[in-house]
Amino acid sequence: MSTAAPAADRASLPIGGEDSIWNALRTELQKLGAQLTSRLLAVVCIAGPFAFAAVLKVQSGTPSDALFGVWVHSSGFAISLVILGFAGTWGFPLIAGLLGGDLFASEDRHGTWKTILTRSCARTDVYAGKLLAAGAVAVALTLLLAVSSVLAGVLLVGAHSLVDLSGVLTAPGRLLGLTLLSWLLCLLPVLAYTSIAILFSVATRNGIIGVLGPLLVALLTQLLDLIGKGVGVHLLLIGSAFDGWHGLFTAHPFYGPLVISSLVSVAWIAASITASWRILRRRDFLATTVSRAPDWRTPVRIVAIATALVAVLALLANVGPAGDTAYRLSAAIGEEFNNVTLLQQELIGRRVPAGARLDILPNCNRRAAKAVGPGDWNCTLYVYLPQASSVPFEQTSVEYDVSVEYNGCYKAQSPPAFIGGPTMLDAHGHSVTNPLYIVYGCFNTL
Amino acid sequence: MAKRYGATTAVDGVDLAVTPGQVRGLLGPNGAGKTTLLRMLFGLIHPDAGSVELLGRPFDGLGGGALEEVGGFVEEPAFYPYLSGRANLSLLARLDAGPSAAAVDGALARVGLERRGEDRVAGYSTGMRQRLGLAAALLRSPRLLLLDEPTSGLDPGGTRAVATLVRELAAEGVAVLLSSHQIGELERVCDAYTVLRDGRVVWDGSAAELVAQAPASAYALATSDDEQALRIAADQVGVRAGRSRSGELALAVHEGCLDALVFALGDARVAIRRLDLLVKPLETMFFALTSDGAPLEELEPVELAETVLAGL
Repeated sequence: MSTAAPAADRASLPIGGEDSIWNALRTELQKLGAQLTSRLLAVVCIAGPFAFAAVLKVQSGTPSDALFGVWVHSSGFAISLVILGFAGTWGFPLIAGLLGGDLFASEDRHGTWKTILTRSCARTDVYAGKLLAAGAVAVALTLLLAVSSVLAGVLLVGAHSLVDLSGVLTAPGRLLGLTLLSWLLCLLPVLAYTSIAILFSVATRNGIIGVLGPLLVALLTQLLDLIGKGVGVHLLLIGSAFDGWHGLFTAHPFYGPLVISSLVSVAWIAASITASWRILRRRDFLATTVSRAPDWRTPVRIVAIATALVAVLALLANVGPAGDTAYRLSAAIGEEFNNVTLLQQELIGRRVPAGARLDILPNCNRRAAKAVGPGDWNCTLYVYLPQASSVPFEQTSVEYDVSVEYNGCYKAQSPPAFIGGPTMLDAHGHSVTNPLYIVYGCFNTL
Repeated sequence: MAKRYGATTAVDGVDLAVTPGQVRGLLGPNGAGKTTLLRMLFGLIHPDAGSVELLGRPFDGLGGGALEEVGGFVEEPAFYPYLSGRANLSLLARLDAGPSAAAVDGALARVGLERRGEDRVAGYSTGMRQRLGLAAALLRSPRLLLLDEPTSGLDPGGTRAVATLVRELAAEGVAVLLSSHQIGELERVCDAYTVLRDGRVVWDGSAAELVAQAPASAYALATSDDEQALRIAADQVGVRAGRSRSGELALAVHEGCLDALVFALGDARVAIRRLDLLVKPLETMFFALTSDGAPLEELEPVELAETVLAGL
């Protein structure tokens, strides 16, 4: 079949190729810029950290369950890192969902597929333009949130030193670099969540499912993080990639989880993009006026696949070597207790010789039937203090209740009667955070 | 070219060509395959068999270069409601990688939307969206225009304006394929027709051929002496006459036979007080080609009019 007209004497327009993708990208960016959701997201990313920091500043409490949470009144970088932690749990999936989840489905809602696909841009270019636009805006919003959170912390609290995840006081300059690097490392999983949102959007043609899809994946990740001792399955989940930066904030940085989770993110991106393109490429854009009977097959299929996937992941959660072991936790918390104790001594004005070390024997046990895995642990730190008497040393012990996560990060807290309250007076009489009260740490689970 | 949905064949072996400067009407009852055909031409639907060639370029069904210089829309044009009409056109112009801001202004002016261009499309009436759809089609200076129900939602003035615009474009050498249910409107602008039924082409030819082959047209007649007029009409070749339920005269007249009847009535000093065309040749032809009812030649004039009008 042909519809033919003789060639007219007019110049051909540049069609296809990079120009075409670039035009599609600019078109999508223009549309995103005009939408209320995108603007609200930008406002939240800019103003949100300042509001968060301002609220923390006027109250004495701290979000102590979050990594670095107890330090939010002491260092502005802690605020940025706490926000990064929250964003990795819910914020990034929400941004990805709101951006990518409705980008394709909105064309179905407005009936505009036929409008854009009947222009000179190929379907491939339209898809690529949308994909790039979602990715670019997701990256831009992440960077906006990063800069805003650092600025909010530095301006409202100050660019002060911060105790890292090994109990070592880190200088502001290094902290700034590590903090920004941590945000940058989250870009890959952000893009992975965005790709998943796009897949939901293309597959279901429903904006609500597209937006909620990444949040559902995040929720499943959270639930799976609570079970199983094996470290392998957790590293295959996108959410785990938001934890990769933890290894940078230790005295002996470890990069294994970071590298693996980054590769996993790339795999999720490739799989989601491939699947969504195959669906869109094969799709017939039928009449919009034809009212279709509700098709329950797709949602039922998705729920069935998701349920099966979760079940398999739950079963596999115990497969493979355990990440959280008594040996690793004991080594990490023993080293960290040494560091924060010496730091506390310095804060109260005592001179600590360079290279000084306490003689510490840590002993950690999991408060459950299984001896390994995330959950509640108890650590007893036996400290041997040398003394000039007939007894060569004095033994004292410190008890810590330790909450260990699947990723090797932990929060340890001891009764105030033993190590003092959340704050203490330094050598100058100022009230400062007691580094021994709550101890955050991370160890390599690989 | 063929397209099937399960056991239903939407398009089956359709083959058509539109020449430059020609306005070809695409006719067919609901479900005949008109919109499916147009969607396949635009690459919105993948054909199960066959191929599409637009302006001499093969089309793989995924859009892009093959749609260069092809404009139009299927069904009601759709736009982004949160953007203005002008912003929508600018956005589409960017996808075409060509037309400038001046072209956007020109397209808006050509469809009479220049004063509402800055308004959000969410506030547009159906007719305004239809006109914006035409502007979007004109934006790329098409050589081939594919229009699906372009006058849907337009008032009579807007309908006439679209008809005029289509004729102007054809005069400029644009090939136009126009699908519509409003057969009366098609008659004003089309040079040729393709009639679809159950996904197949059942008639294809020029407007003159269609009128020549059309069954009798139906008229309502009021005269100074209806009884005598009835007798005179009964004697005319190509004319059948009868009375409606309300007693009015109704005629079934073949093409070219009306003049003789009018002269005969004048010779008999029967004054014609009213002569209304109830069913046009295109309508009777369309009905004859697309319905399963009794042959129109066997119907009384009144039944002919009622049957055809009810079937359209």
